Amino acid sequence: MFKDLDPILHSQLRLAVMSLLISVKEAEFTFIREKTKATAGNLSVQIQKLKDAGYIEVNKQFKDNYPLTTCSITKKGIDAFEKYVKALQSYLNTDKK
Amino acid sequence: MKNETPLTEHESLNIITSMIQNAKASYHDSGMSAILWGLAVSIASLLVYVQITLNFTFPIDPFWIVFIAIIPQIYISLKERKENKVVRFEDAAINAVWSVYGITILLLVMYANIAPAVSKEFANQEGWQLIKHYINGSKPDAEMYPFIPSLYSLYILLYTFPTMVTGIAKKFRPMIVGGIISYILFIMSCYTSFKNDMLIGAVVAIICWLIPGIILRSKYLKQRKNNV
Repeated sequence: MFKDLDPILHSQLRLAVMSLLISVKEAEFTFIREKTKATAGNLSVQIQKLKDAGYIEVNKQFKDNYPLTTCSITKKGIDAFEKYVKALQSYLNTDKK
Repeated sequence: MKNETPLTEHESLNIITSMIQNAKASYHDSGMSAILWGLAVSIASLLVYVQITLNFTFPIDPFWIVFIAIIPQIYISLKERKENKVVRFEDAAINAVWSVYGITILLLVMYANIAPAVSKEFANQEGWQLIKHYINGSKPDAEMYPFIPSLYSLYILLYTFPTMVTGIAKKFRPMIVGGIISYILFIMSCYTSFKNDMLIGAVVAIICWLIPGIILRSKYLKQRKNNV
């Protein structure tokens, strides 16, 4: 059981989104959808959850008359992600012992 | 990708590593900017070299090619911005370096055109002037215009700076090698005439930008072909 793992991050799609965003400055919604192979609806819901947690920033604008949504990770998100990875590492180290 | 499937620690790690790899592999420089500037600077430098060697003057300064190249550069930048769905940290930093480099080059051009005339003016106000004196007395003494010694060496040094930064930041060996060779060529240019500095400048533009740009372009086209 992962009692100490952040429940916001400990989900397949949200973790994938955060892992993508941790390594880039910002990414378009379509890019995240393409890389995670998620449906637009499901991805929107998960992005909203990450945004509500303060882990990511969502910027909505218009580009060539089309809506453009870009996401970027926040300082709080980076801290949460690092904490999550450290917790994972400790679980893996416990497994090895 | 579904969402609420229970995850094991190994699955979590796999997601993290695969997504980070995915993000890293997602962006490829089209190489167009490097090719453009490699061509513009090398052609301009070579034309000046030809001009001095054959002792004639083109109707316009060959370095206008470099200024005109700003127009296609704006188009390339806008097109790439449109195509790239992701901005990486190092790309943002490298873009900043190239922007600062562009401003610095423009200001250096300004300095090279303004400083000698202003220096001459100050000297005249102080009541003195530079005189060109021929040691063998073959020509009479003449007033000399102040000049910046081996000016193009400074440009060569400046060309190398963003190239090295880009090469190191992107771990792109052709630019690192180009940069190192250019530093050596810069030292060489301190010992050569203005005419030969132009030839060296052309070589620097080719090894710093044109060749790495062609390599980037071929990688980019290969990647695009694989994605189709």
